[in-house]
Amino acid sequence: MKTARPPLVKFVSGKDGRWLCIWIGALFGLGIWDYLFLNRPAFERIINGFINTLFIALLSVGFTLAMAWIMTLAFHRLGSVKKRSGFYVLSFLLNLIRSIPQIVGILFGYIGIAALVTAGLLPGKAITFILMSICMSGFIMPEVIDLLRERIDHYTKLDFFNALRVCGVSQWRIINFDIFWKNSRIHILNKLISVFGSAMFLQCSVDFIISVGLSSDVNAVTLPTTLGSLLAKMDSKQDILAIGNTLTNPAYMPQLFFQHLQGLTVAFLIVITLLAVYQISCGYAERHRL
Amino acid sequence: MNRRGFDISVATAGRSIVRVSGYPVFDNCITFLFGESGIGKSVLSKALYGFMNNTDLQIEINNNSYGSHLNDPWTQAIKRNSFFVFQEPSSHLNPLMTISDQLNEGSLAGIHEEDILSWLWQTSSDAAIRKLLDVFPKPYRPSGGEKQRILLAMAFKRIDAWIASPPSGEPTYFVFDEPTGSLDNTFRNLFLELLFNKYAVKPFTIVIITHDYSIISEIYNRHRQLIERVHFKELSRLDEDEVTVNDFSPGEYLDWLAAPRPHPSKHLVVEPVLEVQPRFSIFGRRLAIYADSQRTRLQPLLINKGDMVYLKAPSGIGKTTLAKIIMGIYRAERFSMALDGISITDRSPMSLWSSSIWGKRAGMVFQHADESLNLASTVRETFKGLPLKKHPSESDLVNHLTELFDGPIVDSFLRKKVAYLSGGQKQRLNLLRTLILGTDLIILDEPLNGLDFTSVKKVLDLLDEKRAQGGSLLMISHNEEIFEHFIDEENIYYLGVIE
Repeated sequence: MKTARPPLVKFVSGKDGRWLCIWIGALFGLGIWDYLFLNRPAFERIINGFINTLFIALLSVGFTLAMAWIMTLAFHRLGSVKKRSGFYVLSFLLNLIRSIPQIVGILFGYIGIAALVTAGLLPGKAITFILMSICMSGFIMPEVIDLLRERIDHYTKLDFFNALRVCGVSQWRIINFDIFWKNSRIHILNKLISVFGSAMFLQCSVDFIISVGLSSDVNAVTLPTTLGSLLAKMDSKQDILAIGNTLTNPAYMPQLFFQHLQGLTVAFLIVITLLAVYQISCGYAERHRL
Repeated sequence: MNRRGFDISVATAGRSIVRVSGYPVFDNCITFLFGESGIGKSVLSKALYGFMNNTDLQIEINNNSYGSHLNDPWTQAIKRNSFFVFQEPSSHLNPLMTISDQLNEGSLAGIHEEDILSWLWQTSSDAAIRKLLDVFPKPYRPSGGEKQRILLAMAFKRIDAWIASPPSGEPTYFVFDEPTGSLDNTFRNLFLELLFNKYAVKPFTIVIITHDYSIISEIYNRHRQLIERVHFKELSRLDEDEVTVNDFSPGEYLDWLAAPRPHPSKHLVVEPVLEVQPRFSIFGRRLAIYADSQRTRLQPLLINKGDMVYLKAPSGIGKTTLAKIIMGIYRAERFSMALDGISITDRSPMSLWSSSIWGKRAGMVFQHADESLNLASTVRETFKGLPLKKHPSESDLVNHLTELFDGPIVDSFLRKKVAYLSGGQKQRLNLLRTLILGTDLIILDEPLNGLDFTSVKKVLDLLDEKRAQGGSLLMISHNEEIFEHFIDEENIYYLGVIE
């Protein structure tokens, strides 16, 4: 017979736990290296950019969940009444959002936010963060709505839903407690991990696009510093070009880790975070056999 | 008669699933194995037969590894000579092969099936059977009963091969796991008759896993000559994972059935709780409720306060559908009923049920406890969210559970996930969740599903108590023998299709 392993050992031995440790370890390792070898202003900019990116991505996860939950309940309510015009209007709006490429939608959203910042209508940095997150959530939300509606559909096809209803249990309790909380939280959490990855990716991509100058209305001055905008800075770009230089001049490679740290760190942070989030999501799905 | 005993243990990831000592196999005899659902009857039979996956599970048989059991000459011989009919016919059949191809696959090839099919379908028409054989199985086609008979036909082909083989002294082990779950009594009896006729030609080892206690009456009434060769066994729980095999006394069941029931006391004031008009239509079919088994006399389904009514019909006619119409889950056409003074038709708004009926005037126990309960919830949470006037205290809950559960109800049981309960325990919990509501009308769809005999008696006593307290009960069950005995003839209604 196998003996039960301690929970921590069990967690770390799974792919998701292992990659979480790798990610945290990589962040610490990189932090120490940069602290020792990167100049102070650049080091502070990277920390600032990383925290901002992380914060916006986490806020986006929260807003995505909240918005998707409200929309799902609205769909369920409007779909169960006799007159379904509200249901069709909501479906049309959701499909409209779905039809816009996420990156384009967010880009236009950021242009609007930057206009508000420029006009002095946004009093603090926190409001800017919140608006950026809401903007991003609006375009990621359809994926989560689909998941939540699929979970409800699955259980309404079984006797489960009706058996609880005929006992007089309110359908809001059945949906929120019995379906979402008790039977879908693993699926939802898995989806939120990928939402976090999407938010990081979109944030970096949009900020990069904005910062390299595709938009004349928005620039790095109007929006908070993120990993994407840091990557687009001239010195980061030179650091990235230096990586290419090592292909023809391998002897130059050791200098990358001392003289081109800003661009290298930003690129590494983006890559390791996205890779780790992807692996954590896969590992979590494997652990729970989703 | 040679009896073999097996010590079997099945575990996964360090957690024991089931253990048993001396699990019996009576060579060339017929064994009926009873016991509540989920206790481990199928798992033990499959483990013995050699079907389990020993990469995910840790299995030991007679203190040997599963690998050595699989290589044992006994196991090799039974796999060569026998057949295992699985409980769920849908999952046994391959959707990418026609029924005909599956009936002639592997070792089944070259064995005649015409006589078997004619018997099981009670038809001599080749065309009718051919139509079925050309079908690729889907979840809804053929019907559950037909799928079950196809599996039985496969088993009979293997039996024919065994009968035709020269005497070798090799063992056999034909396992029928709930072979009659989707069959009505007529087809069940045909299956038993064919099985026993073949057994009479050349005996082989038969194990029939079932919850259908009325099979005992069939054996005693029509196959009494086999009694000497029949063993009735029951699997019961010793603790969380350990089970034991006891003798089941068929006499106890037959005596219980023969015992006169006290005539239910009638309430002095006749107070109708439910009256359903006899004609209605749904899904393009016209159905009707009758007062007689010949289905000639239309009669409204009338349930008064303190009545226990039994709705009878062959499988698939629409008993559950009618229950769901009454409960507002399905919408019928040309439907009319009065429930506790509320007049309801097919035009009544659906909100009427949620505002005035569900959990207030009527409740329903669905037939599959596994689907009806939230398996991720705990036993305690199962009773949360119900529209009770007063939320039950811990002691109220314990008292309520004690009505159907043995032993002291401890906190660890209340905190146990429903998924970890046995099938019989789930069914009892399913019943108790509806009974706690105290509604005037309770509809029970197959309330005895998955229960052992002790639980069957307990459930029926509890339902009788609820009836005596003024509850009105509508029973739907394929277990005709028990309910016909339990319920007065005047309270039995028959559902039929109007052609």
